[in-house]
Amino acid sequence: MAAPVLVLEQVVKQYPGLRALDGVSLAIAPGEIFALLGPNGAGKTTLIGAACGLVRKTSGRVSVLGVDLDVDPVRPRYDVGLVPQEINFDPFFTARETLEIQLGYFGRSKDAARVDELLAALSLSAKADVPTRALSGGMKRRLLIAKALVHRPRLVFLDEPTAGVDVELRRDLWGYVRRLRAQGTTVVLTTHYLEEAEELADRVGIIDHGRLLVVEEKGALMQRLGERHLEVKFREPVAALPAGPATAGTLSADGRGFSFHERRGTAQAAEVLAGLFAAGLPVGDVTMAPASLEDVLLRVLASEREAQAAGGAR
Amino acid sequence: MNVVGVRTLFRKEIRRFFRVPGQTILQPLVTTTLYFVVFGYTLGGRQAEVDGVPYLQFIVPGLVFLGLANNAFLNSSSSLFIMKIQGTMVDLLVAPMGPLELLLGFTAGAMARGILVGLLTWAVALAFTGLHAVDVARTVLFLMLSSYVFSVLGLLAGLWAEKFEQVNVFPTFLMLPLTFLGGVFYSVASLPEPLRTVSLFNPIVHMVDGLRGGMLDRPAGSPTGLVLLLALAAGSTAWAWRLLKVGYKLKS
Ligand SMILES: Nc1ncnc2c1ncn2[C@@H]1O[C@H](COP(=O)(O)OP(=O)(O)OP(=O)(O)O)[C@@H](O)[C@H]1O
Ligand SMILES: [Mg+2]
Repeated sequence: MAAPVLVLEQVVKQYPGLRALDGVSLAIAPGEIFALLGPNGAGKTTLIGAACGLVRKTSGRVSVLGVDLDVDPVRPRYDVGLVPQEINFDPFFTARETLEIQLGYFGRSKDAARVDELLAALSLSAKADVPTRALSGGMKRRLLIAKALVHRPRLVFLDEPTAGVDVELRRDLWGYVRRLRAQGTTVVLTTHYLEEAEELADRVGIIDHGRLLVVEEKGALMQRLGERHLEVKFREPVAALPAGPATAGTLSADGRGFSFHERRGTAQAAEVLAGLFAAGLPVGDVTMAPASLEDVLLRVLASEREAQAAGGAR
Repeated sequence: MNVVGVRTLFRKEIRRFFRVPGQTILQPLVTTTLYFVVFGYTLGGRQAEVDGVPYLQFIVPGLVFLGLANNAFLNSSSSLFIMKIQGTMVDLLVAPMGPLELLLGFTAGAMARGILVGLLTWAVALAFTGLHAVDVARTVLFLMLSSYVFSVLGLLAGLWAEKFEQVNVFPTFLMLPLTFLGGVFYSVASLPEPLRTVSLFNPIVHMVDGLRGGMLDRPAGSPTGLVLLLALAAGSTAWAWRLLKVGYKLKS
């Protein structure tokens, strides 16, 4: 792996009475899209804040683009962009002015072409010269994204970038994020739309109570913990399941339905279904739900809570 | 240093107050002009000369100072406070703007407004008093120094304040009394002891005195006042730099 663009080592953030980050270690590779997932209050925003200089860590080490933030907190910021979770805007300025000011903060000279390009990319061209207070909520969010990208950062943090953005634009935005990655930009993303993470992420980190529970390549994680769900409806009630792979599933009490969860180590859904057909059961309807990151997340969190409950009993 | 960043913040601050000129420039101008008319004509009429200067002329530097100090303070304190509340402070904190850049950008913007209001007040006053000789260098020095100190104090207040009313604590409970005791409307030299000596610990006395010396081209007194003001400027700068560096009430 090329030198990581972001490294956290044993980062702790202690608030009075609350440990928001509890020894987080993580390395983000250049050019990857990393999705940080977890419930409300898990510590996602705090983690991003520690990397962007918005949160004063209690202990541990953070280095961004090869620079330890304790040594030089300012220099790496030239190449970092952040979409904060909270919408902010200065009502005195228009969208265009906002982007011009943002470029200036990052030490870049005026670049009208770049500003226009981003306004277009985020479908804000028509509202470019309207005061930001007159933008809709989703438009303000898009302006926030444009602000984070206008200076061509090499590392971008997107803290729930698509909250409140409509479906169509969300998909446009995904396309834009993929283009960023194609240009070599590294993206750290948090989102509660797990479909978004599923679409975009190369790697996934699951965090809860300030601890990273899982960091894994998305495909591998889905294979390891994902569950596909097979649902069969019979035309007439069935008395019993045939011997063979079908016994891995469960027959409903009324004998009209059958369900099977395919995960690692179980029989394949196809084998199970073949078993039902081979036994001549009156199969009426078949649905198959693919594995989802949502399931995986819920499963990881549930097993963590169990482990904690067990630990608490000690 | 991020020079472009500082310039951007400075220009943004200026554009901000020019977007609402009625509130940021006109209103303070009207207030100080009223002071001038009320104190200069109605009260001053009876007291023709102070320290060998017509009273009307005597109070002009003090009134210029009032506009200068108030507006420099208000600009940095309210701008910073509003950015905290709006959340736009985050944009500055994640940008490559270190404590020095933030300090320079905010104070330069605030000084610009303070000096602008001060000079406009002066222009209005000159229409009443007529033109006279000015020690330009000394005037510029004290305009800069006074507005700088109040810009930095405003920055400190903006950092500290969590509620809007707290922004006004410092102007109301410290600046206003010190200003009125600061020789704006009378000569500190004419005070009886020990008031006179006590007054010398009030930095505003030295700001007004320095401005008066420059604007009315009077002989310079002892440099103690200037030294005190430079020390105040250095001290408040160091304090503000430190708070910005650790992100006092800016970072969680
Ligand atoms: N300034 C603060 N002072 C005290 N506690 C804080 C502060 N900021 C965050 N916290 C706490 O730290 C924990 C982590 O918060 P954080 O914002 O990182 O969560 P998150 O994972 O981003 O959640 P969400 O999905 O809701 O955005 C929460 O329990 C939160 O209440
Ligand atoms: Mg969050």
